[in-house]
Amino acid sequence: MDTVSDKESVSTTAVETGEQWQRLSPISILYFTASNIKKLAQFLIYVVPAVAVTANVLDLKDSPYVIPVALLLLVSLSVSGVISYFFYHFRISEQHVEVKDGVFNRRHMNLPFWRIQNVKIEQPIYYRPMQFALVILDTAGSAQEEAKIVAVPLSYAQALRKQILAYHTDEKPVAAQEESKQASAGEDEEVLTRRKIRDLIIHGITNNRVWIILGAAAPFYDSISDVVFRWLNARGLNLEQLISEQTAAWWQIGLYTLTLLMLIMALLALLSVGGALLTFYDYTLSRDGDRYIRRSGLLNKQEVSMRQSRIQMVTAKQDWLDNILGRVNLYFEQNTSGNQQQQAELMSPNKLLVPSVTIKETQALVKEAMPESQLYETTYQPVSLRYLWHWLGVWVWPPTLLIVGIYLYNQAWELAIGTSVVAVLLSLILVLRWWRWGYGDDARYVYVRSGRIGLDYQCFEKYKVQQVKVSQSLLMKRRKVATLNVLLASGNITIPYMPEQNAWKLANELLYVAEKSRRSWM
Amino acid sequence: MTDTQPDAPPFSNALVTPDALPDAQTLETNPLSPHYRTLNLAIVSVVFSLLLIAITVVRFQQFIPAAEGLVKVYPFVVVILAALGVLSFLYHVFADPLIRYAVREQDLILQKGLFFRATVCQPILRVQHIELKRGPLDRIANMAKLQVYSAGGSAHTFEIPGLPVTRAQQLRQFILDHKDLDAR
Repeated sequence: MDTVSDKESVSTTAVETGEQWQRLSPISILYFTASNIKKLAQFLIYVVPAVAVTANVLDLKDSPYVIPVALLLLVSLSVSGVISYFFYHFRISEQHVEVKDGVFNRRHMNLPFWRIQNVKIEQPIYYRPMQFALVILDTAGSAQEEAKIVAVPLSYAQALRKQILAYHTDEKPVAAQEESKQASAGEDEEVLTRRKIRDLIIHGITNNRVWIILGAAAPFYDSISDVVFRWLNARGLNLEQLISEQTAAWWQIGLYTLTLLMLIMALLALLSVGGALLTFYDYTLSRDGDRYIRRSGLLNKQEVSMRQSRIQMVTAKQDWLDNILGRVNLYFEQNTSGNQQQQAELMSPNKLLVPSVTIKETQALVKEAMPESQLYETTYQPVSLRYLWHWLGVWVWPPTLLIVGIYLYNQAWELAIGTSVVAVLLSLILVLRWWRWGYGDDARYVYVRSGRIGLDYQCFEKYKVQQVKVSQSLLMKRRKVATLNVLLASGNITIPYMPEQNAWKLANELLYVAEKSRRSWM
Repeated sequence: MTDTQPDAPPFSNALVTPDALPDAQTLETNPLSPHYRTLNLAIVSVVFSLLLIAITVVRFQQFIPAAEGLVKVYPFVVVILAALGVLSFLYHVFADPLIRYAVREQDLILQKGLFFRATVCQPILRVQHIELKRGPLDRIANMAKLQVYSAGGSAHTFEIPGLPVTRAQQLRQFILDHKDLDAR
């Protein structure tokens, strides 16, 4: 990304706007209109089925009112964009970002620089020719608390980001001053990793990113299925007839289903690759002083910055397919307590994802974020075998035996066999789960390995712990095992069925380190 | 928000004898308000009695002919409701006294559970904000519930129920006065 450094160099632009309230660039009308359309579409997803049930959609199509109504809708939407534009003001003065917006619900937001957790710069496709950008300022609080500066020139956005993040670095104590000088110098951004299209294709295949496209296409499901059915009919394949009249032998239907399934799988994989490309095209992760900067996106370019100290935990996830291909999805997890929306996971700066990196790259990146950590090198201690016995002996086999017994009594052989097979598979998965689960720690970090068929590694710094919980049932107490829950700002981590002594030792140790260090988790 | 670089603070790794470390497993704990269990038992009794009375009234009232299904199900429902009532009554009898808390210089500790024993430790350093909650029944019994929020999400709020009001206020003040609370 050579262009990045070009843009960075324009950072001399003055950021402060003074006491005067500023209006956005008129191009923001496009953004407001687009977001209004999006809102309407999201609303329609819920309404359309209801309308479709009451009114015949085909009738509607022929009705003479459809075109005027649609036009009216479009016009009112763009007018609403213009209105939103006129009602939006912002100013940036004395280290405060202030935004006034809303037509009916007026909102005045005042955001001091020091409360801003992430700065995200987005470039939707219609902003790109004119080099405009959208700046999203995240606070540690809820999603409603984020401030958006909807349309400013890209260079201004970059300068603003720099200033806001520089504010943090200025705050640092003398010991770290050297670093902060480097950070404010800024241009020596070091690229840590890039993702090529090949990597993204692998990512699309190994991870289901279908929803990125499916979510956007949701309003058109009905018409798509219509088209598909018609197409199939035109080729002499009537699905309804096929199933209802049983004109074909069972193996024929079976073959059809299999073919259809394969087709659907292939299509989904293709869509998933498309989704991955859409979000992660031209992915770069770079480091500038104490900040990580992620840039990616095909249509909607995004730039997310995050301070290294905000990382609560590093997670390296491998699905079974990742395992075969030797790829890892690496997450740098931040405070998530404010955001409930899991769906936004890929875009959200709360989980900075490095998609499908090789294990070697993962090691380098983890070492970069958490110096001296031994994520892959440490010896993981297994959790107690009691864990397995508990699950098999209490939750899987007694109910299975009971059900199988009932089936056998009623001479329902097939059902009995089916149930047993399911139980055996479940047991195998549980054995894997027990086998994968392990923990380890050193002076600075705690490591947890888990997974069933996939394999996940987690690593966090001891002092970042928020809360510790040790629990055991009466049976576990007798067997001297206990479950440890460690709460971080990024979520909960469970290590089940540790030897009681180890659980308490680790719990006490975590508390001690956190309370002794007095370091902030942010 | 001081230490941003993990390398920045001087790394110390002095030897600490294991016995010198504080242990959250063995410590003296304090009981909740004696009214806590009484109140819970009263609530259970009243709720289940009301449910039983309500369903009985519907079953035997003379104004509208009772639905046939209800007549059939009635004995089972009564038995199940009564059993649930008795079980939760017994549970509170035995489990409520097991909820105990402790306050150390640096953290709060809560123990609870009859069959599943759990000990939760909340470092005061990591407290985001505190709430004292008093419902109408709590007010009658002169109790309060202390909720301590950390950054780990509201699902994992550290909560001490059924504290005497004065004790709850003392605890809140203790946490607020803690010098590490606004450490950055």
